[in-house]
Amino acid sequence: MAPAELSVKLQASSGSKAKDFLNANLINILAAFLFLLLAFFLLYPIIAVLLKSLRGPSGFTLEYYRAFFSKNYYFQSLYNTLLLGVINTVVCLVIGFCLAYMTTRGPWILRKPLKIISLIPLIAPPYLFALSLIILFGRNGLVTRMFDLHWQLYGFSGVVISQTLAFIPLAYMMIENTLMSLNPNLEESAYDMGASEATILRTITIPLLAPGLLKAALLIFVMTIAEFGNAAILGGRTPFLAPDTYTMITGESDFNMGSVLSVVLIAPCILVFFIHNYLLEGKKFTTIGGKPVASEPRKITPLIQAPFIIITTIAAGAIFICFGVVLVASFYKILGVTHNVVLSNYLDFTSNQAIYNSIRVSFVAAVIGAIIGVLLAYVIVRGKFFGRTFIEMVSLSGFALPGTVLGIGYLLAFSAPPLKLTGGIMILALNCVFRFLAVGVEAGISKLHQIHIEIEEASADLGASFLTTFYKIVLPIMFPAFIAGFIYTFMTAIVSLSAVVFLVSPGFDLAAVKIFDAAVYGEIGIASATTMKLVLIVMVCMLILNFISNKTRLGGSTKKSAAV
Amino acid sequence: MRKQEGAGHMDMKEAERPMLILKDIHKFYGKNEVIKGVSLEVRKGELVTFVGPSGCGKTTLLRLIGGFTDVSSGDIILDGQRINDLPPNLRDTRICFQNYALFPHMTVAENVGYGLKINKWPKNRIEARVKELLEMVELHAFGDRMIDKLSGGQQQRVAFARALSLEPKVLLLDEPLSNLDANLRLVMREEIRNLQERLQITTIFVTHDQFEAMAISDRLVVMKDGLIEQVGSPIEVYERPANEFIAGFVGYVNFMEGRIASIDEKTRDAVIHTEYGKIEITLEQGDINNGDEVLMVIRPESVTISLDCGGKGQNVLSGTLKSYMYAGSLAKCTVKIVDRTMIIDQYNPRDAQQFKHAEKVVVEIPRSVHLLKKKS
Repeated sequence: MAPAELSVKLQASSGSKAKDFLNANLINILAAFLFLLLAFFLLYPIIAVLLKSLRGPSGFTLEYYRAFFSKNYYFQSLYNTLLLGVINTVVCLVIGFCLAYMTTRGPWILRKPLKIISLIPLIAPPYLFALSLIILFGRNGLVTRMFDLHWQLYGFSGVVISQTLAFIPLAYMMIENTLMSLNPNLEESAYDMGASEATILRTITIPLLAPGLLKAALLIFVMTIAEFGNAAILGGRTPFLAPDTYTMITGESDFNMGSVLSVVLIAPCILVFFIHNYLLEGKKFTTIGGKPVASEPRKITPLIQAPFIIITTIAAGAIFICFGVVLVASFYKILGVTHNVVLSNYLDFTSNQAIYNSIRVSFVAAVIGAIIGVLLAYVIVRGKFFGRTFIEMVSLSGFALPGTVLGIGYLLAFSAPPLKLTGGIMILALNCVFRFLAVGVEAGISKLHQIHIEIEEASADLGASFLTTFYKIVLPIMFPAFIAGFIYTFMTAIVSLSAVVFLVSPGFDLAAVKIFDAAVYGEIGIASATTMKLVLIVMVCMLILNFISNKTRLGGSTKKSAAV
Repeated sequence: MRKQEGAGHMDMKEAERPMLILKDIHKFYGKNEVIKGVSLEVRKGELVTFVGPSGCGKTTLLRLIGGFTDVSSGDIILDGQRINDLPPNLRDTRICFQNYALFPHMTVAENVGYGLKINKWPKNRIEARVKELLEMVELHAFGDRMIDKLSGGQQQRVAFARALSLEPKVLLLDEPLSNLDANLRLVMREEIRNLQERLQITTIFVTHDQFEAMAISDRLVVMKDGLIEQVGSPIEVYERPANEFIAGFVGYVNFMEGRIASIDEKTRDAVIHTEYGKIEITLEQGDINNGDEVLMVIRPESVTISLDCGGKGQNVLSGTLKSYMYAGSLAKCTVKIVDRTMIIDQYNPRDAQQFKHAEKVVVEIPRSVHLLKKKS
């Protein structure tokens, strides 16, 4: 059976000249096709935003930018956004470092539970924290009423707190990753030479972690200034760029000004992206034979321990309370105001309809995203054509782009022919695909790096054509990466708000948008119940993902590739 | 052996007090007991090697001495002081890790001077000491280099110099040579031993390589499953292993069962009956009695092999040559004796008789063969 098949393939591949050419260039043709997709669905919308910001009724103009920089309101908005970014980044780094230090250097019994608590926010949509803060400290909030508190939640401080909580897991994961890859013998050597815990931190741990910390800081900064939900829900009268863009488009239908705001928001992101890619390149410290090993607990002096324990406890406690409060609130019409336990929030038709829509959109996005991700990874790793790194850069950039920008971009790019997509499920799905492409591509790349090219060469050597090799060898090996890309895209898409909020059409609500609206209009019960449904879905996805990565060690490999 | 000559120079009292004492050390990780009661005394200036298969607890024991892990029970006494509760930074022990753990963000000189700086030495003294240490390890020209610009052997020297910078009472070396290639390993082994003897620094060396252990040590501590199996000089451990595991661990060994048929109490000559014939030996051990079931520990190089010419000498067993592998300095012969095979190393094979496959040969078991009492 097999030999016969092989000989057929041999004949086929040694057939016509045209076929040979096709065979030899298939990877380039695939690359070209993928690049067209990227150009059309990722670059074009961004360029559309850029053009819109420069084009008035009578052609090219800088009028809108002049308006932006001359109006105090916009300046305030920019200032708030950047300040929020800086504060958030610093606080998240400190908390993330404390948590990561405790889970990698602290007592054994604390490590696992602390790690779980640190990662719990991952299963929540980022705006869960805004919601829980409203429940606790809002005008009718539990704490507000209980203690007759007059703290104004809506405004800068509220946004900072909810954002911080939302970004703890990201900070934690990145710092934990670098701490894990730091050979514990280095710190032990310093300890052995007579250094105290504080001295080790100052002279060894932090200097060696610096590149990793800087990386984490840049990423958190970019994601936090672009984050839409918390600022939109809790911002109140305090202007921030991302929600301002939304009001500009949906409220005032001013696409020019909306585009300007987007471009201003995008600028720091691009800057950070380049710093990340070029400045930090090669900024790593290598050590001999240092494979990731768990460090044994230290005998930490109480004085050093105290800040760690205080910060860790507060962070862990806050995360815990926020989840609990939303869970409880989902069983009341309005927690603290009405006193009957009800299930009506969970049975609410519009909420379930929105969840159903979200699942549909995310599923479509996940299928397309996973396929494109695997193909892109293959082209990036194995291709030898000019512009390979450019394709890699573009496909990974969606992650760093503010969601609002791609939201407006899609609105501008696909609301008129040649490709009119607005109003359908496809525009939502495609938007999610290209925004979250990075993860699928990363998973694919790290999986491919584990496969020796010799395996493919062996297949070719035995007479298989490029397509046969790809189909019979590459795809089966890449399958775990495909599944990981699928699930990751699915769970990211289902909670994402910032881009789709521009793209949903009336009558077709998505869960995230439903929560956003409900939170803004004070339907706390519905908002909480819908959030809990999302939490449940994401939790299931995570369990599946965890199961797969344990089975295929995909997780381990991605971890290694992200070492210090 | 060498050490005993050196001990003569020392003040008797100082020589008698052990530098390091381990008293019934136990270590649990959860319910898992990894060190199951270890006691040991290490003299001043001695190089003691912990050797054993991976997972035997040798590195854990080293980490316990260094203070990186707490003992579950037992005492660690350093130079007369109980140090159980002291953290590593307050213990007068210094460790060299297997991966050297050099600080990659510092130069060679900064690495070597790190401990001095931490201990608040004045700047000029640090400089002088670092210079002295770098000269000692022949790296005086490399002070300003970054660590990743050094070869493996150079990194090893820096780690060594850094560990010695504060003149510790005990130096702990955790598989220091395992990251080097074979030739360099031999060179560094000799250098470490020479320096250690010159500085008279009490050293504990951990390795899984039994040949390295024998070559470098005053005494070997052979470990298995968290217990010490035998402590002794390399010769003692190799020639007179305490049990089958050690016999097999420190080199290749042919075992042969037998029963003591007679012992001449005066000359200590003994006769052993085996299923292949009678073996006569001179007993060196006192714990073997008439009638004991024993296991002969026959080292491949102690057996002589020759062509079977029909005559029957003492302690001679006849067999068939199964393979003859020439390897330069020696030839490895596999001989089938009835139902078992015996490995024999024939040294300097060029000047000796060479054999062909399936040839009839005889092997002579030496009279000095070591016996293990069989437990039944």
